[in-house]
Parts: sequence; structure tokens; C-alpha cells
Amino acid sequence: MSDKKMNLNLKVWRQAGPQAKGHFQEIQATDVSEHMSFLEMLDVVNDNLVRKGEETIEFDHDCREGICGSCAMVINGNPHGPDRATTTCQLHMRRFKDGESITIEPFRAKSFPILKDLVTDRSAFDRIQKAGGYISANTGSAQDANNIPVPKKKADLAFASATCIGCGACVAACKNASAALFVSAKISHLALLPQGEAERSERALGMVAQMDAEGFGACTNTGACSASCPVEISLENIARMNREFMFASLKKK
Amino acid sequence: MQNHSDNGSVKTTGWMSSTIGRKQLVGVTGLGLSGFVLTHMLGNMLILVGPQAYNQYAHALVTNPFIYIAEAGLIAMFLAHMFIALRLSWSNWNARDFKYAMRPSGAKRTTFTQRSLWAQGLLILAFTILHLITFKYGPNYTANYGGIEMRDLHKLVIEVFQEPVYVAWYIVALIVLGFHLSHGVGSSLQTLGIHHIRYQRHFKTVSIVYALIVTVGFLSQPIYVYFLRG
Amino acid sequence: MADTTPVSLGKLDPKIPTGPIEKRWEKHRFEMKLVNPANKRKHTILIVGTGLAGASAAASLSELGYKVKVFCIQDSPRRAHSIAAQGGINAAKNYANDGDSVYRLFYDTVKGGDFRSRESNVYRLAEISRAIIDHCVALGVPFAREYGGMLDTRSFGGAQVSRTFYARGQTGQQLLLGAYSSMMRQVEKGACEMYPRREMLDLVQVDGMARGITVRNLITGEIESYVGDSVLLCTGGYGNAYYLSTNAMNSNASASWRCHRKGAYFANPCFTQIHPTCIPRSGDYQSKLTLMSESLRNDGRVWVPKSKGDKRPPQQIPESERDYYLERLYPSFGNLVPRDVASRQAKFRVDEGRGVGPSGESVYLDFADSIKRLGKDAISEKYGNLFDMYAKITDENPYEQPMRIYPAVHYTMGGLWVDYNLMSTIPGLHVLGEANFSDHGANRLGASALMQGLADGYFVIPYTLGHYIASTKMEKVDTTHDAFKASREEVSVRLNKLLNIKGKRPVDEIHKELGNIMWDLVGMSRTEAGLKDAIAKIRTLRKEFWSNVHVTGEPNFKNSELEKAGRVADFLELGELMATDALERNESCGGHFREEYQTPDNEARRDDEKYSHVTAWEFTGSNDSAAWKPNKEPLTFEYVKPSQRSYK
Repeated sequence: MSDKKMNLNLKVWRQAGPQAKGHFQEIQATDVSEHMSFLEMLDVVNDNLVRKGEETIEFDHDCREGICGSCAMVINGNPHGPDRATTTCQLHMRRFKDGESITIEPFRAKSFPILKDLVTDRSAFDRIQKAGGYISANTGSAQDANNIPVPKKKADLAFASATCIGCGACVAACKNASAALFVSAKISHLALLPQGEAERSERALGMVAQMDAEGFGACTNTGACSASCPVEISLENIARMNREFMFASLKKK
Repeated sequence: MQNHSDNGSVKTTGWMSSTIGRKQLVGVTGLGLSGFVLTHMLGNMLILVGPQAYNQYAHALVTNPFIYIAEAGLIAMFLAHMFIALRLSWSNWNARDFKYAMRPSGAKRTTFTQRSLWAQGLLILAFTILHLITFKYGPNYTANYGGIEMRDLHKLVIEVFQEPVYVAWYIVALIVLGFHLSHGVGSSLQTLGIHHIRYQRHFKTVSIVYALIVTVGFLSQPIYVYFLRG
Repeated sequence: MADTTPVSLGKLDPKIPTGPIEKRWEKHRFEMKLVNPANKRKHTILIVGTGLAGASAAASLSELGYKVKVFCIQDSPRRAHSIAAQGGINAAKNYANDGDSVYRLFYDTVKGGDFRSRESNVYRLAEISRAIIDHCVALGVPFAREYGGMLDTRSFGGAQVSRTFYARGQTGQQLLLGAYSSMMRQVEKGACEMYPRREMLDLVQVDGMARGITVRNLITGEIESYVGDSVLLCTGGYGNAYYLSTNAMNSNASASWRCHRKGAYFANPCFTQIHPTCIPRSGDYQSKLTLMSESLRNDGRVWVPKSKGDKRPPQQIPESERDYYLERLYPSFGNLVPRDVASRQAKFRVDEGRGVGPSGESVYLDFADSIKRLGKDAISEKYGNLFDMYAKITDENPYEQPMRIYPAVHYTMGGLWVDYNLMSTIPGLHVLGEANFSDHGANRLGASALMQGLADGYFVIPYTLGHYIASTKMEKVDTTHDAFKASREEVSVRLNKLLNIKGKRPVDEIHKELGNIMWDLVGMSRTEAGLKDAIAKIRTLRKEFWSNVHVTGEPNFKNSELEKAGRVADFLELGELMATDALERNESCGGHFREEYQTPDNEARRDDEKYSHVTAWEFTGSNDSAAWKPNKEPLTFEYVKPSQRSYK
């Protein structure tokens, strides 16, 4: 395993608070190892800022293994960077060249207000979830798990939708800042399972209503969301949501 | 930041006031209009046959008692498609208040066609208005076939299609319509919930082929008139 | 309580019900007092942490009618680190018809924990395991299925039955999203209030009872108080004391530690689990270690070169010069020995100078034979996502060259001491999930962590909390009470102190140094001299921290440097306690390996006569000093007779 070192010219979005005016700050990242993850590169930059007594770049991050959905930044115009099926924490510096300039911005959407630097407020997703993204089953009331057979294909499809990590890259990537991919993955996961049947219509109506209330844009089927999605949630989910919502609206009394 | 629950049962909105409902209206009207442009194009192909066939076809259309209903429907579809789409575009722009410094690249980029649907729509609107002024409300030449007097639209079309500026504008507008259809038809299907993991590729192809047929069909007419008929 | 063990153990009374083990939980549930349904809404419960334990407790307690307030440090409760658990969740369903039973799961777990867990708790866990699967399926958790639509299971972590339910390699994610969605339903109903981006910095006690918490709003920096009738700590383990671990970057022990300093005993802190199959570190900048599911050991063969310092690429090392050491040492279990054994053996090879990779700190996990036998497609079908992840991180293709792996800190069996009701030594402070100590003894078996977190939250605390509420009288207090004021003051003073040191060293640098001490001296194998050295070094480092750390930024804004500083300050005390506990436990058991106590063939040698107990440490220090006193809860084994674990 070789270890190439590189120097990079970062242009990082700095914003002191939600109301403050933001700007790009140019920062040199020196001696960056090609084996670092993108966030480790930022760790090193922050370490140097501390040594100079300057405020560090704030960014959300946690598991650093691509599953928690915390890390969220737009790198050279691409949410989570240039690679498909990759979160920022799993992006490695070997994807960049010595001397390259890298522009780092927060996810931008009115529904994801910036809190500080690259940190945004994605609580809109939680509010969408609570508007119907569940099955109403109280603890203790369940029958034996094998009483409800679920065909493997259906179960696999539901699983594929359920793997959404809720990072918001779909919103960041969409030219309309639409949350359609996220919401549709949630709706699909439960719509595909027999357990979700009872609340199927209310779920679609409630979650879509909340999605709209949060101020996300509408889907114009460009597919940028799915291309930016770290777990490659399929556009089929959006079609399913559209269907679910249409039929639910028709059935509504 | 809102952290507290706002206590209450799940709120819902009506289909018409939801983004998805509106998108579906744009989709349905879009598909309707796509159907119209296809039949319009096919009918107009009679220009290659000759003046009589062309004029009699036009005459049959305008004298059909259902024409007013059809026209009203078409206008309604057109206006609904346009207004709802523009309204959605407006809220879509507002969903992001601060633009990115750089555009996405590689797999994550979008095409110019996808980004400029609204502009294409506006251009098609301008074209449609001019188109109606030029033809529907243009000079009223007449022709007589077997004792029936009717408008000689054929003559008007030949006249117009011999003006290079008009032909150029017509070609540009029709190519834009083609791009609009190539995204729009497939996109409308998706919006209406029609998606199949196995055939999805073909939906895209159908959309592009549809757009090509309409565009090439329409373009063949001025090109025929301008270059071949002379 | 009516029915408890007769011996008085003071604060360490485990309150274990009497009678035959299979009836204890049922009997206990009947004997516990109930809270009138109409009264439940008058009681506020504060839940800290939203992983499997916290989210499931929040959902269940809200369903019962309690007013629940739930806090997490992440921007959304769905991001708690339970989300990263890969393998699966055990349940004694016996769907595979292969002889599994509650008793067998109980037996395996007690044995796997190397006889350092409480039998009654473990039995209850095994009993509840079945209801967990039922409930999770009802919530829409998309477990793997067979073609007929029935749930699929696999065997895991050395178990001889197939009892692990899974959702590809993302079981933790799916279980957490299930619990989170259930909790969000209660948020929608107004039964549960959610407070994300809040870090608990102190426990507030009134009349000796846990009555509230002091938190820092991580966005505004505001110090906030919340009042409740009980506090549930569901804040996970302390693996990040080692700096590098498979824990998330923000996983920390501060909530537990703040409670410990206020009177909650800390049990068995030296019981830590080192997972054998992680991606090795690549440089000083490394921020965390990535685990790869242990299922890889089903088809991969672990080896190192026979000769020291062999720098040839693996493909050029002939078969005769490779040492498949696990197969050599443990012919019957081979590459499938339990985690602690596999990890330790890897360390021995590296210590011998036979490690591989640029730093010599890894061993090979080779799939060449399996690929030859089963075909590349079959391997890719089973492990494709893990192979991709490995390739992404290391830039090496595991289909063509062996993976390099090395053990990493993964889970902590120790934690705040709790009784059978999950209550700590502070009345009203309950501890759930990885944060408590009770069920895994000295070593946790694979696929048992998810089971325990959900058992505690869905099926234990709803009963035991009711009993506490029904049998406790407490005065009405609000945030203007002196205890709350004092707590806010104390928290602010500490934060300002951290900000005003203005020394030279970044927080992370000191954390890394602590991590190195912990890994080298309180890691996979420990010695008396090493542990004494560790204690001295940690004390020096703690002084260095409080005099020379540099925390940038302001207290009133989002400030991750300040967040980290508070956590590292606590790890600097906890690390000392871990070493102290390891030093005190003169035996080897499970994840705790003392070099002085091993069999002639390097296996752990337990000392049941002297150490069949839980060591629960009582904090006796002051505001600026740390000191502890050990207390012992004896462990008795009525059902599973202690024996030497053997995997030969």
C-alpha cells in the first residue's frame, strides 16, 4: 500500500449561525494522505485551526461507516462527493489530485436551514416520519412473527427501501430541493409489507402533506436524487409514492 | 429549530393542493397535449399529399360540431398544464434560497433539458400564440372543391413556409418541443406512478422515440415546402 | 419489595426474585405494584439516548401513558449508533427446529459471558427474546425471509443452533428504525417529546432520588433543566475511551460518568470486547475503526507468514510458509473461535513480529480457498457489501488478495451497576442497554447486544419502572429548585473552565494519547506492571489535559471542540477506573486477559473462588479528584455450573 501525500486548496463555507451571512473561506490542506477519508482530512484541517487558535469547521458526522446519515456536505457541487453509493465519510482522498481545489458547501435547501458552517437542521425529516411513517402496533400486542408470511421478493423490496439512511442527499442533489426520494422510500417500505396495510392510505396522505408543509420542492423526475443516494434508493419508490398518494386521495372520504 | 410535537392527529391535504396531485395534473394534461401534437402532426402530413386532401381535412375538422368542445378542452389542458407547471416551478425555485457555487458533475449531474423545462414551456407558449396568429387567424384564402367552399389553408402554409426566418424559428421551436416531450412523456408516466423495474429503460426509450416522431414529422413539412417544393 | 434475596447487600442488593429460574420473571411481574392508568400521565420520564434501548423504552412507556421526554446528541434520534450493528439479533424461537430453547440461549449466554453475569437476568433476557422478534415484525422490520415467506435465521458467533434473525448486514439499522418509528408515532400523538442535539451533562437529585437532568443545547449552547420522576440512561458503552474503536465519533460515557460521580456505582469497567475482524488502521489521522461482520470467518481463513518480518506480498508466500494459526491451535473450532480468543491470538502473532501490512499490525483473512471451492459469485452473493466496503476503504481488492484485519474495541460489557429492575444505586436512575452491565458477563456473544437493548426497553422497563413509581413518594419540584440551580451552575463552571485553559494541545491529540495508553496497557492482554503504568500515565495525562488543552470557540454556539473536551475529561477518569478494575481482578475471564493468569497453552484462567463477583466501584473523589472504593456483588450459579471454556 503506497501512501501519496497531497496538498489541496479548500474553499469551505463558513457561517457563524443561522442568521449570519456566510462566506467561502480559503484554507490550505497540506500533507493529506491518500488513505484518509474526506472527514479525516477535515479533522486534520481542524487540528491545525485549533493550533492556530482559530475556530474549527463545524460539520455533522458520527458513525463514519456510512450508515448513520449524519455527514452531509456538497463537494465540488456533488452531495457526498463525486462517487456513487458513497457517503462523505466513506469517500477517500485518493479520489482527488495533488494541488486540486475543492469547494465544500452545506446541503442547501430552505427546509434544511444552516445552523453553522456545514451543519444543517434536517429535523423536517423527523416531522415527516411522525406524520405516518410507522405501524401502530403497541408493545406486547404482536402475534407470533411467522403468522404473517411475507414473500421473499416483497421482503427484499421492502428492505431495499428501508435502507434509506435519512442523510438528505436527495434533497441536496435535487434542483428543486425535493424530498420525494426520502419520503417515497419510507412510504414504500411499509406499503410493501402486509403489516403496513391497515394504515396504508393515511400514511401516504399524512407523509406527503407534511413533506409539502415543510416547503420541499416537487419532483421533476431528473433522477439526480437516486444518483446521489449513498444507498442507491431507486426511483421506483417515487413512482410508488405517486401511486399510493393518488389512490389514497381517490379513496379519501 | 422545531423540536416539540405539535400535538394532534395526522394532517392531510387535498390532492389538488399537494405537490404530487399538481404534478399529476401536469402529467395528465401533458400526456393529453402530447397526444394532440401527434395527431396534429399526422393530420398535417397531408401537406405531402396535396392541397385538396389538406384543405378537406382541415375543413372536416372545423365543421365538426364537436370542434368547440375539443378546442375548449385543448385550451383548458394547455392552460392548466402551463399554469400549474409554472406555479410548481416557482415554488421549486423557492425551495432553495441560496444556490450552490458549483454544479454537480458526473453521475450526479442533471441534463440541461431537465433543468430548462420551464423555459422550453414558455418558448412553446410563445410559439403557440404566434402559430395561432399566423395560421388560425391568418389571411383567409379560399378554395372550392366540388362546390364546397372552404378555407385554402394549404396556400397559406406554402406561403409561410417559404419565408426563411419563419422556417428557422419553426425549426427551433419544434426542436425545443421535441426535448420537452422527450423528458415530459416519460416523466409524466413516472409521476402517474407507472414504473416497472424491468421495463423502465424502455419507458425512457418510448419517450424519446415519441418525441422524435413528433419533431421529425413536423419538421418534414417546412423542410419539404422550403427545399423540395421550392 | 416483598420478595428479594434474603442477604442484605446494602446498596448492591440485586433484588433477584426467588423460586425456579423459569418462573422468576413471571412471579416478579405479578408482585410488582402497578400505576393506575389515569395516573401515568402525571409522571414524567426522562430518557437519555435514542438507540435501541432508549427508543424502545420511549415508545413503550409513552404507549402506557407516561409523559416521556427523550434526549439525544444527534440531530435526529434515528442516528444513534445502534444503527451500525451489522450481524443480527438472537431469539430462542427454534424456527429452525434444531433444538434451540430459552434454556439453551440462557445457557449459551451465561457460558459465553465466562460466568460473570447474573443468571436471573440472563434467563429473563432469553425468555423475552422471542417476544422481541414478534414485536419487531409487527412494526414492519424487514427481516430476511425464506422463499415461503417465513423468517430466515443463521448461526452466528460460534452458536451451534441457528437462532440469529437478520436483515442483510444492516440488522441494527432496521431494528432501530422500527423502534424510532414507533417512538415517532408517540411524538405525533403528543405523548412523547423529542429533544435532539442535547447532551446530558449532569444528573439532578432531590432527596437522594434522580429527579432531573441538566443538558446543553448543542446548537445554542444554552444550559437547560428538565424535571422528571425517573431518569432512564440509555447512552451506550464507553469504547471510545480507547479513542479508536468501532463506536461512532460522538459515542461517549459522559452521561454515565456524571451519574457515577453522583453516586451510581460503575460495575466491571475492565470488561471490554475487542472484535477480531476490523479493518486495520492506516495512519495517525485515523479517526475510527470499521468493523466487518464476523460472518466473514465462516469462509475466510486467518493466517500470517511463518517467518518473522516476511515482507513478500501474500500471493508470493507459498502454502508451506503460511501459518493458519487458528486452525492449528483450535482444530475443532478453527477460524470460528469466540471473539476474545480470535482477537488475542491475532495480537500474539503481531507481537511475535509476524504481523502483515505496512505497519505490521494486521493478519490476513484469506478467501482464496472459498472462492476456488464455491466460486466468486457465491462469495460475492454472501459478502458482496462487505467486500465493497473493504475495497472502498483500503483500495485493495479482497477477491484478488487476502483482506488484512486486526482487532478493535467494539463493545463494553461493563457499565453502571443495576439491580434486577434495571435501577442503579441512585433511586430512580435506571440504566438500559449497553450502558448497564448486567447480562453479558465478561464477554458478549454475537447478536446479543441488539437483543439486550430491545429487551430492556420494550419488555423490562415498562414493568419495573411502574413498580418504582407506584412505590415511591416524591415531592413536586420544578427547575427553580435549588438542586437544579446548583446543577446548572456546576455545569457552566466546568464548561467555562475548559474554555479558559487555553493551553497548546488540541482535545483530539490528548484523546489519542489516552487511547494509545489504553490500547497498549488496558487492551487485549494486561499485566500488573502494565496496569500500574497505565494508571500513572493516565493521571499525568489528566493533569496535562486540565492545564494544557486548548478548546477553541464560544460556549454559546455549536462548538464540537467543547463537546469533545467534556467527554475526554470524563474518559480520562474512566480510563483510570478501567485500569484499576483490571488490576484488581487477578484472573483472566472473557475479554479481560491478564497475562499472569493463563493456562500453559495461553488460554484464560478464571478464578471462581476469588472472583465470582461483580466489582461495583463507588466514586469517592471530589470535584477535582478521582478516587474509588470497590464493592462486591457475589454471583451464584445455580443452573449453569462454571466450567473452563474450551474451543480446542
